[in-house]
Amino acid sequence: METVALSELPPGTVAIVESVHGARDLRRRLLEMGFCNRTMVTAIRRAPLGDPIEFFLRGYYVSLRTEEARCVVVSPIPAASEEERSTPSGLRLRK
Amino acid sequence: MAGCCDGCTILKKDHAKGCRPVPDSREVRRFTVALAGNPNSGKTTLFNGLTGLRQKVANYPGVTVEKKIGLCRLPDGTWIDVIDLPGAYSLVSQSPDEHVATEVLRGTRSDTPAPDAIIAVVDASNLQRNLYLVSQIIEMGRPLVVVLNMVDVAERRGVRVDAEALERRLGVPVVPVVGHRRYGIPELLRAIGQARVAPVPDWPIAEAMRGEIRRVAGIDPMQADIEAHYRWIEDVVAVCQSTALAQGVVESPARQADEARVHPLTVEPIFRPPTHLSERIDSFLIHRVWGLIAFAFIMGSMFAAMFWLAKPIQSTLSVFIGMMGSVVASHLPGDALQSLVRDGIFAGVGSVIVFVPQIAILFLFLAVLEDSGYMSRAAFLMDRLLSRVGLHGKSFIPLLSGFACAIPAIMATRTIERRRSRLATILVLPFMTCSARLPVYGLLVGTFFAVYGSLVQAGVMLGLYVLGIVFAAAIALVFRRTLLRGQDSGFILELPTYKVPQPSVVGRQVWSNSKQFLTRAGTTIFLICLALWAFSYYPRLPHDQAGRLPDEGARAAAQRSYSFAGRLGRTIEPGIRPLGFDWKIGVGCIGAFAAREVFVSTLAIVHGTGTDDREENLAASMQADRYPDGRKVWTPLVTASVLLWFVLAMQCLSTVMVVRQETGGWRWPVFMLVYMNALAYVACLFLYQIGSRVWGG
Repeated sequence: METVALSELPPGTVAIVESVHGARDLRRRLLEMGFCNRTMVTAIRRAPLGDPIEFFLRGYYVSLRTEEARCVVVSPIPAASEEERSTPSGLRLRK
Repeated sequence: MAGCCDGCTILKKDHAKGCRPVPDSREVRRFTVALAGNPNSGKTTLFNGLTGLRQKVANYPGVTVEKKIGLCRLPDGTWIDVIDLPGAYSLVSQSPDEHVATEVLRGTRSDTPAPDAIIAVVDASNLQRNLYLVSQIIEMGRPLVVVLNMVDVAERRGVRVDAEALERRLGVPVVPVVGHRRYGIPELLRAIGQARVAPVPDWPIAEAMRGEIRRVAGIDPMQADIEAHYRWIEDVVAVCQSTALAQGVVESPARQADEARVHPLTVEPIFRPPTHLSERIDSFLIHRVWGLIAFAFIMGSMFAAMFWLAKPIQSTLSVFIGMMGSVVASHLPGDALQSLVRDGIFAGVGSVIVFVPQIAILFLFLAVLEDSGYMSRAAFLMDRLLSRVGLHGKSFIPLLSGFACAIPAIMATRTIERRRSRLATILVLPFMTCSARLPVYGLLVGTFFAVYGSLVQAGVMLGLYVLGIVFAAAIALVFRRTLLRGQDSGFILELPTYKVPQPSVVGRQVWSNSKQFLTRAGTTIFLICLALWAFSYYPRLPHDQAGRLPDEGARAAAQRSYSFAGRLGRTIEPGIRPLGFDWKIGVGCIGAFAAREVFVSTLAIVHGTGTDDREENLAASMQADRYPDGRKVWTPLVTASVLLWFVLAMQCLSTVMVVRQETGGWRWPVFMLVYMNALAYVACLFLYQIGSRVWGG
């Protein structure tokens, strides 16, 4: 699957963390905040002025500056199609 | 609460059995527990619940981290010490707060006893990340109790945590608690006695991983270690939390897809974060348009309260204190003693107390914003603006408060966890046009720009505000590139679930900050006021000279120019001439070290127009003021130079004292005094020298 920087993840998209780069202190803090490999992260929104970016992971919300989010490489999970979204239960069924 | 043991709010039923008095704090060392937990885990509310009013707030020596110790009574009647540690995400410290928390937990601080047991506070609605700190504490091998806090919030968010399963899994007591409702606190008190050393998990996956890592080059042990902790956490969460999968961790996309096929019901929540009240509030409060409008409104009301609500309280207070001073002084013999009491002691007390309403109001807002969870949203909204000059989103509120007064604003920088950002914010804060500059600007602009009409006057005033902001931004950038270079380990800011602010937490914040200001900075400010009084009162003008002067105003003017302050003004005149200042302006600027607005009353005294607030007299006298050779003292260029001096110079000594209080030493306040005044001097020098060559003075 194609990987992108977390900073490039469009709002509302879910992705899985593949690797974390950057300076040691920053990387440590990102990992400690739960950005470990194989963690699911959802991009929520950018701040009104364009930076930072809000994410959802492990049941909580955190915001990272773009330069920090750039240090996290993720592989996006394709979004559900409209048809799938409109299933009666509102659930996503994948084939 | 009154009667048998005041302040004791815990275990009311035990009071009936007879109550022992609150022990003397000098008693032998008591059993000590430390409250550790992530920021926003509800630690402080729990601390208040455990200790009631029996708290002592101080600072850890050398750092500006609050040290909170309280007394708590166990069901068997024994008293224990409870330390509320600063919030930490990890024991590998990256902020001063975390550093202190780690040192206390390890027992390596000489100023704090090593805790006999640790209470790890865990936010049940955010179990995974909170358990990371717990996993580190477990490795320390100390007796431990885990508090599962905010179980009510968790349940509202559809997360049910099985405390018994968690207890079995961790091997230490786990107590579900709702801190602000006091639910679970008696159980916690009983559990403290049963604190146990948790068996250190063998991090099974960690070992396997480590073996693999040694083979696969390029992955570093730090990452493997943290990930092993999280794997253990995921295992723990899986057995004790009913919606473990909803928290969103999967082995691999492939397995994720697999499970999706089998259990669409359990997988769905992963793809969409919850949409509870907190998320709905956020979709408004950090919305692109509404968010900024709401932000402007919240900040506007905070600023209005500081500026307009505090003002009448402040002026009533100072009028009252002034009257008291006059009354007391009138009963005293001798001119010197009267003046000491009236203009020294009472005026000194007044100039300390006058800050308290603003401090109280600002900290009321700060505590509400912080406790509700809005503070991180404000930082989220404003970070872009401030990160460009190397500051932090959380610098915004202190900087805004600086337009009212730098003193509460500098105290408010405590909300910035990052040390370098915080220092940079403090260093540029006095450039914000505080309300004490307004009388000075009002006098000068009103006197010398009146002929150009009110529009120009308003423009000049606005220009002075903008100039302050521009300098603050530029200087902040310079410091962050030089003196305070380097990243503060990133922005990484949690956006916690919104909560209703706890009155007890808010009240204590307001109280302890006001008290801290009065007892620490306040005493020094008072002494400085006394010194400045003596400086402008002594030496006395000889009687024969005073007798020859026609009226009271002239005598006061002569006295002022005869005093140390007046002599200093004359002595430094050669130094300030290149800026366009004469000795009277010099004396005024010296007076402004007490507070900037004192410039106006000092000028009035040296101009012999008295202190009766008749500014027209002073304005006329200033306009008519000439050098012996007939040149006007106050040319437009001189006015501009004085205004520039007031924009840039560090004058207010009370601010210097608060910087000392907040940075824990003389280094930064002295540095501020030197750099800001040097900057102001050089800027005024350039302005006046170039200006007088271009426009001929």
